[in-house]
Amino acid sequence: MSVLYRISRNMKYFLVICTLFIISGIRAQLPMDSATARSMDEVVVTATRTPRLMGNVAIPVSVIGAKAVYQTGSLRLNEILAEQTGIVMVDNFGKGIQVQGLSSEYTLILIDGEPLIGRTGGVLDLSRVTVRNIRKIEVVKGPSSSLYGSEAMGGVINIITDGAGQRKANVALRYGRFNTVDGSFNFSRRFNNTDITASANYNRSEGYSLKPNAAQKTVEPFWKLAEQVAIHHQLSKQWKIGSGWRRNITYIDNTIEVVNGGVPILSKGFERNDEYNVTPYIQFNDAKRWKSTLRGYVTGFKSHQQLDVKDIAGNYNDRFNQLFARVENQTDWQIREGSSLTLGVGHVRESVASNRYDSMSTKRSNSISYFFAQHEEQLAANLALVGGVRFDANKAYASVWSPKLALHYTPTERLTINLSYGRGFKAPDFRQLYLNFTNLAAGAYSVFGTEVAKVELKRYQELQLIDQLTGRADALSSLRPEVSGGINLGFKYKINTTTSIQANFFRNDLQNMIVTDVVALKKNGGQIFSYFNLKRALTQGVEMDLEKKIDKRLTTRLGYQFLYAADKEVLESIKNGALYQRESNLSSSVTRVKLSDYGGLPFRSRHNANLKLTYESVKGAFATLRTFYRSRWGVADIDGNGVINRADEYAKGYVQVNASAGFSIGQHWKIMGGVDNMFNYKDIQYLPGNPGRAGYIDVQFNF
Amino acid sequence: MKTIQLFASAMLITFVMASCSKENTSKPVNTLIDKLVQDVPADPIIGIGTDGRPFGYNKFTFYSFETNSVVPSTDSASTKWDVAFRGSTIITNGGASGPGNGGAFVYQGIFDDLKTISADSTFKLDQSLAATAVGKSWYVYDAPNNLFIPTPGRIVVIRTASGKFAKMEILNYYKGGVTPAVSAPSDEKLQKQRYYTFRFAYQSDGTKIFTK
Repeated sequence: MSVLYRISRNMKYFLVICTLFIISGIRAQLPMDSATARSMDEVVVTATRTPRLMGNVAIPVSVIGAKAVYQTGSLRLNEILAEQTGIVMVDNFGKGIQVQGLSSEYTLILIDGEPLIGRTGGVLDLSRVTVRNIRKIEVVKGPSSSLYGSEAMGGVINIITDGAGQRKANVALRYGRFNTVDGSFNFSRRFNNTDITASANYNRSEGYSLKPNAAQKTVEPFWKLAEQVAIHHQLSKQWKIGSGWRRNITYIDNTIEVVNGGVPILSKGFERNDEYNVTPYIQFNDAKRWKSTLRGYVTGFKSHQQLDVKDIAGNYNDRFNQLFARVENQTDWQIREGSSLTLGVGHVRESVASNRYDSMSTKRSNSISYFFAQHEEQLAANLALVGGVRFDANKAYASVWSPKLALHYTPTERLTINLSYGRGFKAPDFRQLYLNFTNLAAGAYSVFGTEVAKVELKRYQELQLIDQLTGRADALSSLRPEVSGGINLGFKYKINTTTSIQANFFRNDLQNMIVTDVVALKKNGGQIFSYFNLKRALTQGVEMDLEKKIDKRLTTRLGYQFLYAADKEVLESIKNGALYQRESNLSSSVTRVKLSDYGGLPFRSRHNANLKLTYESVKGAFATLRTFYRSRWGVADIDGNGVINRADEYAKGYVQVNASAGFSIGQHWKIMGGVDNMFNYKDIQYLPGNPGRAGYIDVQFNF
Repeated sequence: MKTIQLFASAMLITFVMASCSKENTSKPVNTLIDKLVQDVPADPIIGIGTDGRPFGYNKFTFYSFETNSVVPSTDSASTKWDVAFRGSTIITNGGASGPGNGGAFVYQGIFDDLKTISADSTFKLDQSLAATAVGKSWYVYDAPNNLFIPTPGRIVVIRTASGKFAKMEILNYYKGGVTPAVSAPSDEKLQKQRYYTFRFAYQSDGTKIFTK
């Protein structure tokens, strides 16, 4: 009850703010050129892998510009993405992204078009990535495997860093709460036919404790370092050559409380992640019909965790080395006006060595060969069609076809309609194939990847450690990729010169989702898990944005996402009346779960909303006020039925307000400051990544 | 003709007698016991071993539905008990576990909805302590939080030592009938566990019907 009360109070609070803004909007309606019209003219590359005007793209795509990144005071990728409609950041093995209700492992993250690797438990920690050197971020929603292959099920996020054609040189320094220091240097310039870009970023914080007097901090002290250099050289009118190089280090000073035989031991240690990549390419472009690029990409991710726990096993030492190398050719052919073809072919080699799987000396590897084709055709002046398909073949699991079809229709100048269907997939990852992990601290359970499970089970049986095998043990087999099909239907409508609205309806159906299940019970009571293609799920909803220019300087944006995400097996057993719930512990208060009781997949909020107010003066001063609402989300099963159904199985919904302001002094200096989480909302249990109110000040010098 | 008459009257008599006897048994005598039992200890934890695993005295607690009480463990080899608990293991008095006629199976549904044990249901026997008729489906073990939670909608249907029938729903596994919070200290979770709160209905007339 109190949970409901608090949510309704939060909601009320949010509505009051919304109403205030809308009223102030109605009061001051001044005609002027629309910001949306301008954003329609922006060139985007991620949706079709070719430069296209955003207004002409049939696939849901949005762009976050460098200005928005600066004005919101964002330092890391997770911070700026968390402020976008339809994107939720989930605190679980770092800051993972949730797009269209799909979790982090189903969204592909690119830096300058190349995929980031190094996931923990499927989650790619976005706080690893600095946004101090970016030109823009493109967000494509819906399955995009037809162009990008594995992981592009929920969408693709492409971080485009400073590059050719920009002239920029600045240094910036930030200081904030928890002794957060962020220093960056950016340089971008053209010398004759050569573009050079260089940037460096250092970020540190002493971390924080949400629980007072706790031995272990909620977030331990850390530092991060990023360096990036890129060179592009125009060999002739048609030929261009270049390469990028990037390095990223994350170091966390770990102090962990480990309970050993009932006795808590405080253990010092560290966690260090090293990531690097190299991106050489050569490009032919006749500026008329043909453009062809041959690209290489090599990236490595090394993770090392060490804890000084002295026990029988010695120090806790965890190493994980991942290597990803790719060579790819993409050729774009402009067949005629309004008709173009994109063809791609590539080969990927991936390997992982980890003492979680075997010893560091055993390298597990996989190679993938793929091709893709995409055709764009302007069928009529106001109707365009995009069709594409990609085929991925590999050794370790079944091959996949990923098609996509999209329509772009502009019945009137004010209205645009987009409709697309695509299929996405996610390849089983190395963890699901090769993990060999036994947790001695919590119940002595073990998890084996499918490629090692049979051998390990046999070994355990020979050692007489197995009490019994479950029915699942017989079903152990090679994993298939997880696949999804997604439909997106979007509208953009310009109400008048100052107001525009857009909405995108989406539905994703996921199959073959990989889940863990018990294959055997050990004699000591522990369970042995492995992975199975068992789950089917659906996510559907709508995402809306309303933008209104109140006057020349003031803009409001209202965003909202409604999301319904459910496990299809659960829906079926509810329909069959075979799922039960218990209200309380003491009476026989068991009832059948109704559809309305079911809270869907965990970590999904049904409602997400944001309201942003941006003021910009002619002289470059600005202020922003951003309010975010997230409704409750399921976190735990308390009554033992395996699903979210009781009110106490949710984390509380909340409202957070961020504000920032800044100005320029002369040509060289830019100063800004801000406060995130002004009203100091905290949830120790379910939002460990939210430290409460945090202020900062930021100074930038432009040469 | 005479034989037909005789046969008919015999039929009539049998019918009348049958209906009389039916009336007699369904009369006021209530043969159904429906009880809530709290805090039956099931080998509570007394320490933690060198392997980090908690242990108790490794003793079962025996229970009789007929007397609605705990049976002393000295009677473990008798047919005085129907069901016994040790940690999350539940045994019945039959098969490998006892000399009685006991057996069990797990029914999925709501306690009050189970009015009659259907004729085609099979009672399983305990094969060993690792393979009991009741099994492990009655609970869920939340390993990360070290909590045992009885699965809602699981009713243990039991044939007693003397071959009568009972149904049992386990409501809680912790002392006082309240599962500790996820965030509770691990000591509390260990000390309070292995206490059963359950509801049972026992039909003493030997039928498989649980209505009064």
